Amino acid sequence: MADSSVSYKCPNCGAPLSFLPGKKTVTCEYCGTEFEVSAIEELFRDKQELAVHAAEAQEAKWATDEAGSDWSGEEAKALHAFTCSSCGAELVCDENTMATECVYCGNPTMIPKRFDGMLKPDFVIPFKKTKADAVAALKEFYKGHMLLPSNFTANNRVEAIQPMYVPFWLFDSKISAQAEFRGSKIRSYDVGNEVVTETRIYNCRRAGNMSFERIPVDGSKRIDDAYMDSIEPFDYSEMVEFSAAYFTGYLADKYDVTAEACAPRADKRVETSAAQVLQSSVEGYDMVQTENIAVKKDVGKVSYAMVPVWILTTRYQDKPYTFMMNGQTGKVVGSLPYDTTKALLYPALCSLVLMPVLYFLIRSLM
Amino acid sequence: MKKIFALIALMLMIFSAADAAVQPVTDKAGVMKTVEIATLNEKIRNIEHAHKIKIGVEFVKSTGGRDIAVASRELLEKNFSNSQNGSIVLLVDMNQRKYEMDTNPTMRERITDSDGVPFLKDKFQAALSAGDYVGAVDNFVDGVDELMTHYETNGVPYGARAPGAFDPMAAAVAVVIALFLGVTIRSWLIGSMSNIRHALEATDYLKRDTVKFTERRDTFLFMNVKRRPKGGSNRGGSGSGHGGGSGHGGGGGSF
Repeated sequence: MADSSVSYKCPNCGAPLSFLPGKKTVTCEYCGTEFEVSAIEELFRDKQELAVHAAEAQEAKWATDEAGSDWSGEEAKALHAFTCSSCGAELVCDENTMATECVYCGNPTMIPKRFDGMLKPDFVIPFKKTKADAVAALKEFYKGHMLLPSNFTANNRVEAIQPMYVPFWLFDSKISAQAEFRGSKIRSYDVGNEVVTETRIYNCRRAGNMSFERIPVDGSKRIDDAYMDSIEPFDYSEMVEFSAAYFTGYLADKYDVTAEACAPRADKRVETSAAQVLQSSVEGYDMVQTENIAVKKDVGKVSYAMVPVWILTTRYQDKPYTFMMNGQTGKVVGSLPYDTTKALLYPALCSLVLMPVLYFLIRSLM
Repeated sequence: MKKIFALIALMLMIFSAADAAVQPVTDKAGVMKTVEIATLNEKIRNIEHAHKIKIGVEFVKSTGGRDIAVASRELLEKNFSNSQNGSIVLLVDMNQRKYEMDTNPTMRERITDSDGVPFLKDKFQAALSAGDYVGAVDNFVDGVDELMTHYETNGVPYGARAPGAFDPMAAAVAVVIALFLGVTIRSWLIGSMSNIRHALEATDYLKRDTVKFTERRDTFLFMNVKRRPKGGSNRGGSGSGHGGGSGHGGGGGSF
């Protein structure tokens, strides 16, 4: 039986291949041989096709033997088994896993069947940050948080560190926007014993065209949208054309939220920014309020990219804490636990110190 | 030489006579008896001497159409301005049934518009309304005496706190603001434990060179005009202000 997965093994020594962060080639860590991405693609294309067929055959067999009886439709959709081409172990993945590593032998494994029936990513941003960078960045992230429990850092151990390519939709849009603002000019002057305040109200119409390029919106249900919004921005100058070779040694998900479903998030951001741009031209007023805005998308283009994210999980008082690091820029995002005692003590101390200062300040003013 | 001395002596006599002619209490409205006025004058002179101040009281039938605040200030400046620790006058217009007190800048530091003048009003206004004019003047003078004694004893005018004295109002305000700041600091500290935020705008992805305005039109719609009385140096009492830039204080009312 043909393997239903493809191991990216070194054609020279047979050891697993890895795409090392910061390099433009795929490297064998054992014999040191470097391969061009295109060469690796060429080399493994046939193997991938074979693996696809094998997976189809295996899937069909699994579907007929099992799905009709014991497995529910949801379970059958969610779980899929593959054999590791290196050690023969059975790998169980969910429906969106495109690349993983064998839990038994650690072999980086692609699941080419998952590339079927879906869009091929247009771009990939290669990992630049290593595992050591991620751990160091997380430790750095802990610093400067006054409410962090003391034993969180003292006993902290990162439970899991996973590098993952997350599917993103990149929205390009050329828009025309129209908005109405209410501008107020306020003038005060004295007349006799009275202070006269004149408020002149203007209707300010603004219209214009502008373009936004590659607004990222993640296409994965499994990863919190807020986390993915927070690890922005990405340096698109380092984005390259997609090649599956970049996945070697990393987890990778395919999208499970379509571009159409993600589009409203991008549209909302565009609308907010367009309003800000138009409002910035309403000058010479003491107050400006937005009355209404209409944004029309003239051209909308979407591309599909895989972006690098390190996912770090730690545990404190039996509660998991997940942090994510932009695998390109090193920006870490996450929510830290806080010490409730410190959260009361520190503000109380501040209040106590401020109280006499405020007292003397107020008394001098009264 | 003898002529010069004689001339100086004559001038001194004229000045002292003029000074002696200005009695603290003048009744041009005929509401008090001569003996009552004499008694009040004596009392006032004792208080003036004790505190080195000048006190003037004048009852008139009418101020002749002049503003009573202006008239009271003129009265003070004309007859009672020469004092070491300040001057105060009380002018009563019987036709209008209005009264006005005026204090010069030195006295204003001792009898403040905010606390001292209302204190005096409370002292004599009831008697004035009741037609007890002698009693009203007597109470007024007693009030001035009390306020001056307070100032000389405590070093601060009535109503003001002595330097270093505890101010419960300031303390209460400080506690409220400190607690508010404490809650704000707590919210900020807890908020700083997470940097997870939804992206709300796309400004980072805007291509600035593509921004082209096709319309910029500002149209005047309407104008709102609001008028309010000038704030600034509010003085105590219900009378018209005559503090202004002169540094005078005081206050008045009707009876």
